[in-house]
Amino acid sequence: MRTTRHLVPLVGAIVVLLLLFRLWVPNLLSPENLIDLTQQISVNAIIAFGMTLVILTGGIDLSVGAVLALVGTASVFVLTSSGGQSPWWAIPAMLAGVAVAALFGAFNGIFAAKTKIPPFIITLATMLIARGAALGFNEGRPMPIPDHQTIFLGLGNGRIAGVLPVPVLVMLIAFVLTAVLLHYTKIGRHFYGIGGSFEAARLSGIPVGRNTVLVYIVCAALTGIAGMINTSQLYSAEPSSGAGFELNAIAAVVVGGTSFSGGIGTMPGTLLGAIIIGILDKGLNQAGVHFSLQYVVKGLVILGAVFIDVLRRK
Amino acid sequence: MKTRGVAAAIGVLLVLGMSGCGKQQAAPEEKGKGRLFGVVYQTMNNPFFVDLNDGMKQVIEAHGDQLITLDSQFNSLKQKNDISDLMLKGVSGVFINPVNWEGIKGSLLQGKEKGVPCVVIDAPVKDEDLVLCQVASDNVEAGRLAARALAQVKPDAKVVILHLSVNKACIDRVAGFQEEAAKYPDMKILDIQEGKGSTEGARPVMRDLLGRFPELTAVFPINDPSALGAISALESAGKLNDVTVVTVDGSAEGVGAIKAGKLHSTSAQSPREIGRVAAEKLYEHLEGKPVEKDIKIPVELVTKENADAYLQKRESAASAVPAAPGA
Repeated sequence: MRTTRHLVPLVGAIVVLLLLFRLWVPNLLSPENLIDLTQQISVNAIIAFGMTLVILTGGIDLSVGAVLALVGTASVFVLTSSGGQSPWWAIPAMLAGVAVAALFGAFNGIFAAKTKIPPFIITLATMLIARGAALGFNEGRPMPIPDHQTIFLGLGNGRIAGVLPVPVLVMLIAFVLTAVLLHYTKIGRHFYGIGGSFEAARLSGIPVGRNTVLVYIVCAALTGIAGMINTSQLYSAEPSSGAGFELNAIAAVVVGGTSFSGGIGTMPGTLLGAIIIGILDKGLNQAGVHFSLQYVVKGLVILGAVFIDVLRRK
Repeated sequence: MKTRGVAAAIGVLLVLGMSGCGKQQAAPEEKGKGRLFGVVYQTMNNPFFVDLNDGMKQVIEAHGDQLITLDSQFNSLKQKNDISDLMLKGVSGVFINPVNWEGIKGSLLQGKEKGVPCVVIDAPVKDEDLVLCQVASDNVEAGRLAARALAQVKPDAKVVILHLSVNKACIDRVAGFQEEAAKYPDMKILDIQEGKGSTEGARPVMRDLLGRFPELTAVFPINDPSALGAISALESAGKLNDVTVVTVDGSAEGVGAIKAGKLHSTSAQSPREIGRVAAEKLYEHLEGKPVEKDIKIPVELVTKENADAYLQKRESAASAVPAAPGA
């Protein structure tokens, strides 16, 4: 790992936030509340891991929220149209979901690698396409998951040994895999190289095109997994869900210290960033802070975090 | 080191900021031993819910208790998290205005498991056996009233509907409208489109529909905000005189549009009454009394004739002294 020093202020911020909110919420640190916190951040964190790779290589993916909704509707479509009663239909449904997501990722990645269209515009377009496709299912109405689909419902609502929520386990696996990819492999070093200087990376023989396609596919596939957790937690696929999820994921990434101009950032930073956003959401809710003020506080925290990021690189 | 200094400065800022909110929003624990309740709305970007919240708050504060109000911003996952935050904080009951009438199931199961009673307000949920009771406007009747009001001026109306189809209250309104419209053989529903239930959502959809259906003579947006969006689109297309708008809600803004001659009718709901009844039902339950499951709050038709009288009645309700605790 390049440096762990930037994680210190993030851990500090988490400690400060927890102690602060504890003043108003005495049972904030109860085991049940903390497990609930990890469950609440899981969807955002899984998307944010992929988003970290995209931003690190100098890109952006605005389509994740809409892809999340499309994956939900597509997987529930497979789940229910089979007509089968077997909960094992969850397997083809999940594969279909990830495949749809990866398709969008490949599309984003190929356009980003092969054209001069900025990723912001490419993924803005795919965001609209994916949203339209999602709304095309069931005339835009939510699609319920039948009660007998216990495996699919378990993905979002199950607990291992009655303690560890399944989405948290998935989040931890996604974290380990993406962290190893970024920090312990040659491909990861290439990502940093591309983000640092695209031209220099190209001239030094890094396969920039292939790597660019890869990061968008990884980001979309992780979004697909997050989308199925989201769908499972809501007991239904909601074609209009996921709006604004891209911004929440980007917030976790930048709070975690990833530079918006690429080349700087770590996976543990993003995990801590997602935890900070999650603590803010939970703490502000449980402290009874007026909902209008919650926006302001979140905005200030994001601004403060990016301010540190800018100063660090000076 | 510079980084550390900045981090510290931000920490201090946060502390100051938070202690600021703490003072304004006086944490519940500081106010004696009153019970704590929570309410979660699909959006607060609608005066209907602000009024509903006022009605509920009056009853709860009259009991010496506290209410935490949260805004789910039409985001089902945020709503699930919001409700979980409230339940784990230890509220004595939660009022839920669901974003997705099926997607709320996980939260209702959590309430069951933790023994926190859930009262559903305004928009029903599918799993009604998991909730204490549902308090909502008679939405089917609201839709019928709108169709009837339209039929009185245009029995041969060619109508488009601006829907919000994830919401059961709106599904009921449209069902009521369709049921009543079917009684008029010359009335025809051209299309049903998503108007998102908001002014900014309905405006562009209305504009598109105008282009697609030159023959349209009426529109039924499912609430006042989307009616205002439709009116704004009709005005800018110069079609407001040819197209009759009927809707459901009864907000001050909606009635204002009726008085200005832009909106024909709104089937007025009583949000304050919904809030008041919901809170009282929860208290009855906590006192061990049985509570009926499905509570319908009546709606009334507001047109130009009774707009002023309606507004007066509405205002006096807002300033009414809340009922004494236990009354």
